Amino acid sequence: MRILIIEDDALVADGMRRGLSQVGFAVDHVPSAELAEAALQQENFDLLLVDLGLPGVDGFELVRRLRRGGKSTPVLIVTARDALADRVGALDLGADDYLVKPFALPELAARCRALIRRSKSNSDSGITIGPLHLDIPRRETRVQSRAVDLTRREWAILECLALHAGQVVSKDRLQQAISSWDEGITTNAVEVYISRLRGKLGDDVAIRTVRGLGYRLDESVA
Amino acid sequence: MNRASAERARGMTIRRRLLLILIGPLALLLAIGVVLDYAAGVVPLRAAFDQALINETVAAAAQLRARSGGTVEFDLPPQAIEMLRADKYDTVYYLVLGPHDEYVAGDQGLPSAAPDHENPTFLDAQFKGSAIRGVTYRHATPAGVVTITVAETTNKRDQAWHRLLISILLTDTLQFAAILLLIWVGVRLGLRPLIALRAQIDSRSAQELAPLDETRVPGEVLPLTQALNRLFATVRSNAQGQQQFLANAAHQLRTPLAGLQTQLELLRHDTDAVAVRERLIGLLEGTRRLSHTANQLLALARAEPTATAAADFGDVDLRELAEEAVAKHFDRALRQHIDLGVEAARARTRGSAWLLREMLANLVDNALAYTPVDGRVTVRCGVTADASAQSYVEVEDDGPGIPPDQRARVTARFYRPPGTSGDGCGLGLAIVDEIVRGHHAALDIGSGANDRGTRVRVTFPAA
Repeated sequence: MRILIIEDDALVADGMRRGLSQVGFAVDHVPSAELAEAALQQENFDLLLVDLGLPGVDGFELVRRLRRGGKSTPVLIVTARDALADRVGALDLGADDYLVKPFALPELAARCRALIRRSKSNSDSGITIGPLHLDIPRRETRVQSRAVDLTRREWAILECLALHAGQVVSKDRLQQAISSWDEGITTNAVEVYISRLRGKLGDDVAIRTVRGLGYRLDESVA
Repeated sequence: MNRASAERARGMTIRRRLLLILIGPLALLLAIGVVLDYAAGVVPLRAAFDQALINETVAAAAQLRARSGGTVEFDLPPQAIEMLRADKYDTVYYLVLGPHDEYVAGDQGLPSAAPDHENPTFLDAQFKGSAIRGVTYRHATPAGVVTITVAETTNKRDQAWHRLLISILLTDTLQFAAILLLIWVGVRLGLRPLIALRAQIDSRSAQELAPLDETRVPGEVLPLTQALNRLFATVRSNAQGQQQFLANAAHQLRTPLAGLQTQLELLRHDTDAVAVRERLIGLLEGTRRLSHTANQLLALARAEPTATAAADFGDVDLRELAEEAVAKHFDRALRQHIDLGVEAARARTRGSAWLLREMLANLVDNALAYTPVDGRVTVRCGVTADASAQSYVEVEDDGPGIPPDQRARVTARFYRPPGTSGDGCGLGLAIVDEIVRGHHAALDIGSGANDRGTRVRVTFPAA
């Protein structure tokens, strides 16, 4: 998966490039928005990491131009500017997420994976989270190489968790994911399906209970 | 802000305002005075002129001679006629008509006043193109009633009215000007203590915050001076607090920086792989602490009510924020083997969503920092059961708790309770406190269930 970093601070850019390369991304770096536009003409990237305070054309303008030009490549803003207006402004322009410097590398990697997965799940056929792989058109589930047989409701719940891996998904939402087959399903039923899923998927896949809120499928950090 | 224009809009207040307020009514009074004075002066003047006319008429009547046969003769020598007509300003006309209104003497065509119950009778008319004032006297003679009219043009009278008006206008205007001048000077004298006070304030430097001298201040202004002195006292103590804060912040930022710098310098010469690795871990930890402190310092500055724009305020779903805070800290809780959960009921308030998010993050952060392994941290929100139905959020842990005598002090900036470990910078609850105050909410630090642990509750004002 290819990531383009648009960042004028060499030290920060180098850190991000190395850190993301170590966890398996292919990373390119340009120091300005103008060069980024040139690179985007030539090649395709799965994710753009954009600094707001760029020399010349700034990050806001770059995102605005990309979106106006019809590019839907996910954009993660990585900046030291954390005023509310900056966050809201960037997200309104069409950025997908916002990370404030300084940040921890694992957090950056997790956000990158989540953004790429979210954009892929619309087009691609599969979701891979650590050892877990979901083949969406065929509704097939694998852990490592082992095929796991799931009922339709179990699949629906796992798909919902996988699409939001690393995020807490509320019980209400999971209940909605399965209620299209079964009217009047209770949240207790969700607990039952979760417990069955845990049994079938084994210890390699962690579905965590968040007390009072819901469940989270852990992204295992590569 | 344009101070000069603001001063002009409000400026020179008391004197100018007093003049502006008084000038209208005073001008009206002046106008009424002029009218009344004029009316009072005109009546006797007119009476005097009219009396002179009557005298002339009566004198002329004395010259009438009745003849046998019912005719009348006006026997006035030419000198007397000249005397009658002689007038410095006005032309005098006369007309004598016999008992049958036949012409006897004088100016043909001069109008006479119609017979009236009064004798003599006055008339105002036009004759030979000018206004005249005349008197008609009906004189009984043996031959019958003779009508004598004497009239004069009104030059004399007009001139008299004119002079009267000018003198009245002159004196009244002088009075008016004198009153305005007295107000101007009087207010200036009256405001002298205020001007002195202003000079006292003006001469101070911006940094000087000593109280103003209250001994020579007039009673009306004393509350103002006292308020100013109270304000100075507050600003003084704030400035001291700011100094204290800066000193603390400098310490908090420089200490880890110094650590990082030394470690890095050592690292340049270190060749032992294990030692390098150890130093790197230390460096990472130091950097993490430094960025935490920088973030907290910024959060504190942003949380100050003066920095919060009212525009940020809106309807906030506390349940959503509580769930978000739990989701955000879930990984850390997992690592520390703490059961972090939420018990959220519907609760909303007016506030700044991002400040309240910051507040909850700090509360959960604190709870996780002070709760031992296998502990339990719960974020709750809801509405109080009493009649006021106020929204609240709270974070409860089952850690060691805060001793009651420490509870009032934990919100102080950089305050860390004795015996606490951890790498906090002592700003978390200070940030919470600022945000709570910015929302006019109440912060309550108490114990959790069964008197164990800590429960921090923020109750928002009733809608």
